Amino acid sequence: MIPGRCRGGPWILLANALLLVLLFALARLVPLLGAGGEAAGGAEGGVWSGDIILVATGLLFLGLGFLIPLHAGLLNVAIHGEFLAGFIVGSLLTRSAVPASAQAGLGLLAGALAGGVVGLIVAWLKRRFAIHEILSGLLLGGALIPVARAFGVAPTATPSLTIPLGSLADRIPWGPALKLHPNFVLAWGILLLSAGILLGFLAAHLLRASVRGFELRAVGSNPLAAVAAGVDVDGVQVLVMSFGGACAGLTGALQLWTNPAIALERWPFPIGFAGLTVALIGAGYFRGAMLAAVLLAVWLSLPAVHHALKDPAWNALIAFLLVTPMFWILPRLFPDQGAPRALWRTRHREPL
Amino acid sequence: MSESDKEVGLEVRGLTIADGSRWVVQDLNLSIPRGAVHMVLGERDTGKTALLEAWAGRRKPERGTVTVSGRAVVVPQALVPTQLRLFERLLLHRQPRYLGVGIRWKRAREEARALAARFGLEALLLSAVESLRPLERRLLELAAAVGESPAALLLDEPTSDLGPHEARQFLATIRALAKEENIPVIFSGSWPRDAYPEAQGVTILWRGADPVTVSTEECSEAALVERWTGGIGIRRTPSGPHTPGESLLRVDGLVLQGRGRETSLAGLAFEVKAGEVLAIVGAPADGLNLLHDVLLGRRFPEQGSIQFLGKETTRAPRRHRVESGVGFVNPPHTRDQSIGEFSIEENLILGQTTGPPFARRGYLRHDSIRGNAVRTLRDFEIVEAEPQDRFRDLKLGDRQRVIVAREVIRNPVLLIVRSPAQGLSLAAQEYVRRTLILQCERGSGLLWLTEEPEEAMRVADRLAVLAAGRFVWLPVTETLTREMIVDEMSGAAA
Repeated sequence: MIPGRCRGGPWILLANALLLVLLFALARLVPLLGAGGEAAGGAEGGVWSGDIILVATGLLFLGLGFLIPLHAGLLNVAIHGEFLAGFIVGSLLTRSAVPASAQAGLGLLAGALAGGVVGLIVAWLKRRFAIHEILSGLLLGGALIPVARAFGVAPTATPSLTIPLGSLADRIPWGPALKLHPNFVLAWGILLLSAGILLGFLAAHLLRASVRGFELRAVGSNPLAAVAAGVDVDGVQVLVMSFGGACAGLTGALQLWTNPAIALERWPFPIGFAGLTVALIGAGYFRGAMLAAVLLAVWLSLPAVHHALKDPAWNALIAFLLVTPMFWILPRLFPDQGAPRALWRTRHREPL
Repeated sequence: MSESDKEVGLEVRGLTIADGSRWVVQDLNLSIPRGAVHMVLGERDTGKTALLEAWAGRRKPERGTVTVSGRAVVVPQALVPTQLRLFERLLLHRQPRYLGVGIRWKRAREEARALAARFGLEALLLSAVESLRPLERRLLELAAAVGESPAALLLDEPTSDLGPHEARQFLATIRALAKEENIPVIFSGSWPRDAYPEAQGVTILWRGADPVTVSTEECSEAALVERWTGGIGIRRTPSGPHTPGESLLRVDGLVLQGRGRETSLAGLAFEVKAGEVLAIVGAPADGLNLLHDVLLGRRFPEQGSIQFLGKETTRAPRRHRVESGVGFVNPPHTRDQSIGEFSIEENLILGQTTGPPFARRGYLRHDSIRGNAVRTLRDFEIVEAEPQDRFRDLKLGDRQRVIVAREVIRNPVLLIVRSPAQGLSLAAQEYVRRTLILQCERGSGLLWLTEEPEEAMRVADRLAVLAAGRFVWLPVTETLTREMIVDEMSGAAA
């Protein structure tokens, strides 16, 4: 049993699949009720346009940013702060003298590092002062919001991460059928999405087959027993929080080089928390999270949904639909300890 | 109503209780008079708590009735939040109020002081509950329950964390309380000796058999113990005394301040040799917990040294101690020696994944791990379990067998065990003790920490009683009795 996964995983996956079906059905319902209006006609491009790749990439990395620490028993609520840190550092880089051609790659790297540092701070606060990661994560996220407003820049109108594919898309036989967006994000988008999927599979494999994965699972299931077994629990927690932060920070930086229309801004609640949704809808499984990221990206890219989210009432309804299953999934996430215990547990040492 | 009916404090008629998929009791009939103390005796997971809850009206029975002339109060095994101060705990559920709203603090404090004084806790009114000794905490819970004016008092395993002399004191207190309040007091436990001399009756719960109620007037202590243990009695397990070899562990001048009102360690010194069992008996709050923590590497002593195989290990973390050849077995219910969500085969390799045979180049070797589990389950007679079964689904006895197997297979130079058979079924207790002693006979040193004198007498080559933070060494001879050890623990021998 891998901690972080839900009890009754397949059933929860099925239930979450039904949730996604419901969300898609809702997307069909929106135009019928008039909320989608003209958007239903596809004012912003086809359903299968390339922006799905970037949204899926963002959701996937955010999901991994929450899921990897979750397997070590940590609730990485700092994910929003980590995301913003990546965004801020990326913004600063775009204002620097760094050549434009190098900005994207360096920006993503710097964003990942910044997110990793925020994760590191959260883990250090936990280790040094026993401050729960939820508390420090929320506070850091809140503190970084005004900083992001002050130093952040608007996403570029023309995505520099894209390769114009207009001619190529016309030439390949299946191109027109896919209604590929003119700025189909091929190079970075597909590369990053592939990296994310690869990372997901690799993480799942290492968790099951490697010694470090075994130790990480031990830390997540029972830190006291892990300490007794000679595992450096503090070290593992610092490592996974930094890694989770790096995933979220990379997503934050990625937002700078995407078209505003396709950025994750459309998410109905603070964007960092998309990671929680993806991880939990995936029932704590890496494969589940990958599937959830792609399906949610497809759903978000539906023109009707995109438009409906601008309507506060529909936005609230969709947010409610996305959040409600969490109350069902969370208590099942820490089978050895129960979610309530995980929420107040701050130390892995025996009380003195 | 007849005179005899008036005297009945709790009456049970045709009671049938289910706990999950099994019956706890079926058609139980029982009368407990007012002013009497009654014990519910049973191994772990036999349904003692469920029975007490049913008697208190907290659990709906399948059939039957429970009659109490008022409200029955249950004192659970788990204690209230320990950050409260003692008088706050006493006022937690019952405060005198103005018009049912504002607390009448002056009166409330007076009531709390009176209750505390009745149980000898007056001097501790302002102390935090977490700083109290286990006996004081139990007395506090008792005082809080009495404050609710119960018609019957039900205590769930109140002596489980007490030393035998403390248990004796606690049971004498509840006996006096039952008489003063003229209410029945019922407590559960897994030590048959707790029934004597205070309880008038004992209801024995057996797994898979009907409960039996006996009167302590008709059944002597020795007879009850004999009946309970199935005639195992007290004997050396499994062979005679051992011949000690070279010195493995040497502890000198160990000093450590206790937490709260816990007794400090006042310069302990001892030595464990290869092939011998050194048993240390003591109450948890009399320094046994502290000594265990020091040996585990959870706490470091303020003075003194610990040398293992001639090397200084006083401040070494547990990992280093394990790597240098020390094995640890803790009580079965402790959470730090197994991972419930892991499979049996994974639990069998905890702490052994740094290299061969279970890991190679950073990867687990699943074939070795599976093979190890199959062999272990077969060799240690853990039937009806598969290597990939979840550990938490095993019975408590089998879980402890897995832990003991893991430690023994590593063939440690020194084994430090703490009450390894606590709360297990009698058969599992015997198996665990025998396995550990056999390991000692293979040449390992065995340091055995326990709260239970009988256990120490069964296993020890040398025996020390830890009282008031110091050792009293007792010769292990045929004339050594449980009472002699308990007297040393309580200081009565001095």
